[in-house]
Amino acid sequence: MKQDKAEILEQLELIFQDTFTEINHTFSIDMARDDIEEWDSLSHIRLLTAIEAGFGVQFDLDEITNMNNVATIVDLLSEKLQ
Amino acid sequence: MHDLPWLLKPTDNFNERCSMLASHKEPVREILALANCALTINQSNRLYRAIQKLSAEIRAVLYGTLTPFKLGIVSNATMDLITPPLVTAAMRNGVNLEVIIADFGQVAQEALDPASKLNQSKLDAVLLALDYRAYSFFAKDSAPFEGKSSHKAFSYLQQIRESFTNNGGMICITQTLACPPYELSGNFDAQLDGMLRRSITEFNLTLANDVRNSADVMLDVSTMANMVGTCQWFDERQWYTSRVPMANTFIPFYAEYLTKLITALRGKSKKCLVLDLDNTLWGGVIGDDGLEGIHIGQGHPIGESFLAIQHWVKTLKELGVIIAVCSKNEKNTALEVFQKHSGMLLQEEDFAVFIANWEDKASNIRRIAEILNIGLDAIVFVDDNPAEREIIRTMLPEISVPELPKDPSQFLGILCAARYFEKIDFTADDAQRNAQYASNFRRQEIQKTAPSLEDYLISLEMHIRFAPFDEMGRKRVVQLINKTNQFNLTTYRYTEAEVLQFEESDQNITFQIHLQDKFGDNGMISVVICRINGDCLEIDTWLMSCRVIKRRVEEAVCDELVALARSKGMHKLRGFYRPTEKNKLVKEHYPQLGFEFAYSNDSGEVWELSIEQYQKRNPPIKVEKSSVIV
Repeated sequence: MKQDKAEILEQLELIFQDTFTEINHTFSIDMARDDIEEWDSLSHIRLLTAIEAGFGVQFDLDEITNMNNVATIVDLLSEKLQ
Repeated sequence: MHDLPWLLKPTDNFNERCSMLASHKEPVREILALANCALTINQSNRLYRAIQKLSAEIRAVLYGTLTPFKLGIVSNATMDLITPPLVTAAMRNGVNLEVIIADFGQVAQEALDPASKLNQSKLDAVLLALDYRAYSFFAKDSAPFEGKSSHKAFSYLQQIRESFTNNGGMICITQTLACPPYELSGNFDAQLDGMLRRSITEFNLTLANDVRNSADVMLDVSTMANMVGTCQWFDERQWYTSRVPMANTFIPFYAEYLTKLITALRGKSKKCLVLDLDNTLWGGVIGDDGLEGIHIGQGHPIGESFLAIQHWVKTLKELGVIIAVCSKNEKNTALEVFQKHSGMLLQEEDFAVFIANWEDKASNIRRIAEILNIGLDAIVFVDDNPAEREIIRTMLPEISVPELPKDPSQFLGILCAARYFEKIDFTADDAQRNAQYASNFRRQEIQKTAPSLEDYLISLEMHIRFAPFDEMGRKRVVQLINKTNQFNLTTYRYTEAEVLQFEESDQNITFQIHLQDKFGDNGMISVVICRINGDCLEIDTWLMSCRVIKRRVEEAVCDELVALARSKGMHKLRGFYRPTEKNKLVKEHYPQLGFEFAYSNDSGEVWELSIEQYQKRNPPIKVEKSSVIV
């Protein structure tokens, strides 16, 4: 399924809202791990699973350790969904 | 099964409902409704946080409706993700769970040090959440393929268990090991000593055999992993990045099954299965399709699906679950199936209660609960019809009503996976339960014709037997202590370890009480724990099974208590009544036995009886034997 980055971002926002109970900043492509207090190593795993299930993709170990901001996640997803 | 298909899916506005909890008119009801759904890990996390933000008052009301349990967790992995799914799963199962997780990797330290966090926390149980990576199956100092490497692993676990028991006094919830899907020599892995697959198989069997004969219990993680498939269960990415022991998708499933075990430890497993008939025990509608038209039995795919369900019901009955029918049908038409259809496995006498009429099912199920003298929360109701399920869920929210798909071949898998009837023990009483209920009905028949209650009681030819707690009866004692709600003066719950302490202490006198009558042996029906306090015998625990209520058994027990106190030269009995939601039945217990009100405090009332003035009650029950007074 081909999706452009805007669509990916839109769907990603829902997943973020589902995973984190409090997102103080407005969700945007510029958001990073430091902006969400709840985004620690364990909720990272919850986020990972939610994204994998939501988009039907799988990330490898290297990608998991690097996906620390929304922009990277969008790039990775856009690549996988080509 | 890992997405808990027997539960309703949460509504689309789940997140919203969580955030609106504080302003909800009935927040506790709403929390329980939300917790009752099949929640993902993110959803349980959201609900958990929303509850924590509520006022202390609301939370106190919520916790008041639940049974408390304090659980410690040690692990070789990260278990922090589990708290929200575990706490919400516990609520769904009627338990207020307090979770205390030891610091990462502190298994031995927590167990061996009497001053450790867990040993000091007065836990009800500690979960030893150890997976295969926690054990030295590949110890450096032992040559590979020589001897059983499972011995070493098992003795490590034994050491941890014994240390917690001795240092912290709690029971241990042990885990079987899921076997990772890596092999070295394929099929031969199961045959060669020292291979991981063979070692894990040995370990799991050794553990199961050992736990069966101990106070500890076992969470069969190996079976859970097999249910979802070990290739799915293990996610190495999550292990390497965060030490999460299995794919976190399965954490709600793990939490639900762990909770079922805790529920069973608290004696809150379901007791009774109430079944619809048409399209639940056979395919088709007997009133429309007739005997020839319904499908049940071998030789037809639909008939075999329902036969499998009947097998399950029959086995549950043998395990001590009470079976009943609640169906919208003409009673005779429904009974005809049991009498005449050759494909039926279940027979009319398999059911403790059989209700088939045109009244609403909620009233009928209430009636079944009354007849059997059990709480609504002890009932599971199975019906293929979504509308009937919905009505029961609305009218009787305490009852568990599993979701079922349209396809009857899927029923059995879902009903089994829901684990309503989790057992931690199998006593002689369990094996006899249905026979006991059946004879109860015969007793009730006599009651109809007997001229007076007194005559009826005499006609029962009851024999009572008193004995101190002993090894043979211990498991049943623990079972009664933890599940008796109605005839229970103080409702103190004790673990097997604590019961053993009472048994061995010379400051305590314990009674297990058995009752027999002309219809058969009722088994152990009452438990009393006394404490010696100077010249006064204090009754810490006095409980009785509801099966024998209104038979003056408590009077026979009181006679025995007074006789015991006399034989020890004591002058007073002191009884306590701690009121709960469920024990109103015994509010007048002590005054009825001639006790005088002494005073009341925060936890309840204190009643006293002067031995000198006691009038022996002499109910029509023959004391067969007392080995307590020596």
